[in-house]
Amino acid sequence: MAQFLQQMINGLSIGSVYALMAVGYSLVYSIMSFSNFAHGGVIMLGSYFGFYLLTLAHWAFPAAFVGAALCSAGLAVIVERVAYRPLRLRNAPFLYFIISAMGASIFLENFVVATIGPTFRTYPTVLPRAPIEIGSVYIGRLDIMIFIISAVCLALLVYFLDRTKVGKAVQATAHNARAAKLMGINTDLVITLVFAIGGLLAGVAGVMFGMKYTVYPQMGGITIKSFIAAVFGGLGSLPGAVIGSLILGIMETLISGYFSSQFRDLISFTLLIAVLVFRPMGLMGKATEEKA
Amino acid sequence: MNWFYIKGILMLAGMNLMAVLGLSLLTGFTGLFSFGHAGFMALGAYAAAWAGVRMGLPFLVALLVGGLFAGLVSLPIGRLTLNLKGDYFCIATLGFGEAIRLILDNVQTFGGARGWPGIPIRTELWNVALICVAATLFMVRLVNSRHGRNMIAVREEELAAKTVGIDTFKYKMLSLFVSAVYAGIAGGMMGYYTGFLQPKMFGMARSTELTIIVIFGGIGSVSGSVLGSVLLTALPEILRTFAIWRLVVYGAAVIFIMISRPEGLMGGREITLEAIRRLVRGRRAEAEAGAGAGTGVGEVRR
Amino acid sequence: MSIKKKRVFILAACAALCLGLFAQGSAAEKVVKLGWVGSLTGDQAIWGQCELNTVKMMAEELNAAGGLLGAKVEVVGYDHRGDAMECVNAVRRLTSQDKVVCIIGPNASGHAIPIASVLEEMKVPDIATVATNPKVTVVDGKVKPFNFRVCFIDPYQGAVAAGFAYDVLKFTKAAVLYDVADDYSQGLTEFFIKTFTEKGGKIVAKEAFKFGDTDFRPQLSKIKAANPEIIFMPYFFKEVALSSNQARELGIKATLMGGDGWPSEILIQMAKDAVHGSYVVNHLDFDDPEVQDFKTRYTAKYKRAVELNGFLAHDAFLMFVDAAERANSLNPVAIRDALESTDIKGITGNIRINPATHNPEGKEAAIIRIMDGNYVFQQKYAP
Repeated sequence: MAQFLQQMINGLSIGSVYALMAVGYSLVYSIMSFSNFAHGGVIMLGSYFGFYLLTLAHWAFPAAFVGAALCSAGLAVIVERVAYRPLRLRNAPFLYFIISAMGASIFLENFVVATIGPTFRTYPTVLPRAPIEIGSVYIGRLDIMIFIISAVCLALLVYFLDRTKVGKAVQATAHNARAAKLMGINTDLVITLVFAIGGLLAGVAGVMFGMKYTVYPQMGGITIKSFIAAVFGGLGSLPGAVIGSLILGIMETLISGYFSSQFRDLISFTLLIAVLVFRPMGLMGKATEEKA
Repeated sequence: MNWFYIKGILMLAGMNLMAVLGLSLLTGFTGLFSFGHAGFMALGAYAAAWAGVRMGLPFLVALLVGGLFAGLVSLPIGRLTLNLKGDYFCIATLGFGEAIRLILDNVQTFGGARGWPGIPIRTELWNVALICVAATLFMVRLVNSRHGRNMIAVREEELAAKTVGIDTFKYKMLSLFVSAVYAGIAGGMMGYYTGFLQPKMFGMARSTELTIIVIFGGIGSVSGSVLGSVLLTALPEILRTFAIWRLVVYGAAVIFIMISRPEGLMGGREITLEAIRRLVRGRRAEAEAGAGAGTGVGEVRR
Repeated sequence: MSIKKKRVFILAACAALCLGLFAQGSAAEKVVKLGWVGSLTGDQAIWGQCELNTVKMMAEELNAAGGLLGAKVEVVGYDHRGDAMECVNAVRRLTSQDKVVCIIGPNASGHAIPIASVLEEMKVPDIATVATNPKVTVVDGKVKPFNFRVCFIDPYQGAVAAGFAYDVLKFTKAAVLYDVADDYSQGLTEFFIKTFTEKGGKIVAKEAFKFGDTDFRPQLSKIKAANPEIIFMPYFFKEVALSSNQARELGIKATLMGGDGWPSEILIQMAKDAVHGSYVVNHLDFDDPEVQDFKTRYTAKYKRAVELNGFLAHDAFLMFVDAAERANSLNPVAIRDALESTDIKGITGNIRINPATHNPEGKEAAIIRIMDGNYVFQQKYAP
């Protein structure tokens, strides 16, 4: 029983890291209808921004945290300008966007390898490592903090999208870009904004990931899991991304804990395909067939 | 420039070409985006090595066994996933590719993650060239046939294709099957080239690389795939002198090509004898008149 | 784009291709080329870059001291970004176009095995640095004539770890956490379990993760429930740091043990407290004055700490120089012949190549214990 509780906590903690990454993915997908594979690269650089603001610039943690998020937002906007906008203006099919995104992701990863170097870096200790013990169950302080920060970020995002005028413009563009344009919404600006928000989330995710684990050039690769989680939950749906991530995190943990850690990904991929066979748009996805 | 080294690049280009041709049918002509083709290559590679080393079949037969095995596996996979749209299909194939790798990592009879050494070296330039020429000719025939045109219809307007009575699912299946066979044969050649197989050789990076070559060469163009395979296999080799900056340049080049020439090198056109003649003569009038400097697919699109 | 522009584009691409291919033709006098191949990019870049740096530094030092048999050693290093096919091509280029007399690297067994046929065709010897799979040098009982290595092999390292854990530390219940997608990790796991159970110990848990994972708590929670006395972790230090931190966070008190993937300054930075008291099977004793000397030289030059591969690349370079000098020739085949009778003292111990296996024989493993962030030498150990 203790082991089961521990595994559920492990799963929730892994899932909340996936969620933070998956939301940024899904947000961009909701408006652009393509998978932004450069998201992992932005997360990775966000982690480096945070690391250097803390260690070289000696900023206080909250300031470094916000600074890293802002830098990542800027980076995401630059990636959009350079790699996607020319394609968007030409109404290129989604294949080209994906290839361009892959190019951007190869570029970012190897740029860091070439300049900063391939070394792993460790964040300075922000919270003590010692976990909180409840009976024989251990909960990391960092896990609790990540969980809270993820929840706050998502709440802010939902508030922004649902309650503000700009947020409604984003939703309208996501729903039908052409109609939104006709209604006088500056869709170009909206798209820039969405990338900026995606970048902010990437920065937050990067710092969290860096604190919990480590910082290295290939860490963007972990986003493939959050991408899978987003598909699981239904691409373009924010609640779907969160729920998909939590389910994936818990599922992986339980498979490792109770079946076979050797075949973990095989089982979770099989379940993923099974879900898609019955719900081709994921758990909470809406039909996006009409979009090109 | 040494012939021994060029030979290596050409063989690698040939093996890439084999896989790219298949993927080009799936992505370029049918419009399906796969991230799992390295999985089919792995299946083909291990099956071909098994047929050759354990069953004692001759090289070419073993390759065929590899190709057919990959094709066979593609059928149930396609049955389950081909109805998925865009990114969902993409992720399903990614999952498939990773799953294959994980199984091979765990199967100790083929060496698991530690790999399978001691496969005889049988892949030579002449047989790679032979297989590639045959495969290219077959592909050209296929895409110019009624089946090929139907596949393009599926890519362009699936709904419309359905309404005029094209069995879209059947054509998606056919194109997945053929592409899996091609990938399987490519994988088989790889095993007999390195003399060693390891699941690591068939990671996601290989799948994405193949897709990049297809798009680089130009969607819906067989000659684009040929040209793309040769150029993009040679590109990292040329960039060798850049050392650690090599993949930075590669990534930037991919973005640059996409934004400056998103239709790829050939952009749905084909190199034909006619087109070469025109290129050589360079007659302006002809060039302007024949905007689709070729026949075949270019015409179908218009 | 108009047709004309398009034609220019295609022609320019072809021209660039030709230029790139033919650009490296110039030769200098009295230069001997030494090849290196490995990962400068990709997941293994941290080790690959250290190897190439080491080889380059050694060559510079040798050249400053008069060179090798009157010739200057020029290092030609190529990246294979962790891809076996690219590695084969890089070796093709090294052996044919660059005409190197010997190659150092690659570090992974999965890359060292496929290059054998090229080496044999071009008759150039290769000294692998940390390729520990037995099949790098011997397949089906036959030694590969041009493949050598400077490190000890998986069965040996696994047996050392298991023997030390059972015989010296007197542990009887062990758990293993390993990387299922990694050849090195699977190899060590296999031989650790084999030796440990043969001696009478019990493996209470065997759990796997997949390369790229950063969270090991699900597996560790399961291992914790099995209550082992020692956990064997045969993988590289990034994962070691993460998994040992997480093990301690879960309240696991068992002793940790690892192989030669562990030693690094970065491990200490990342997990100083978690790995305190752990045992490591290593190639060398870090306190050895010669090791210290090399470390100081390297750090002064590159402003980075040496990774383990650097030490082995150092010894591989010594092997190459020694063989060339004994052969009194810069001919690759003569060097190969001389390599077979190598018997030198490197910083990773005595390297005596067995001509029947091309492995260094009788290399004792050093058992290192991590105490308060220092690698403290315990004893030499042979199973």
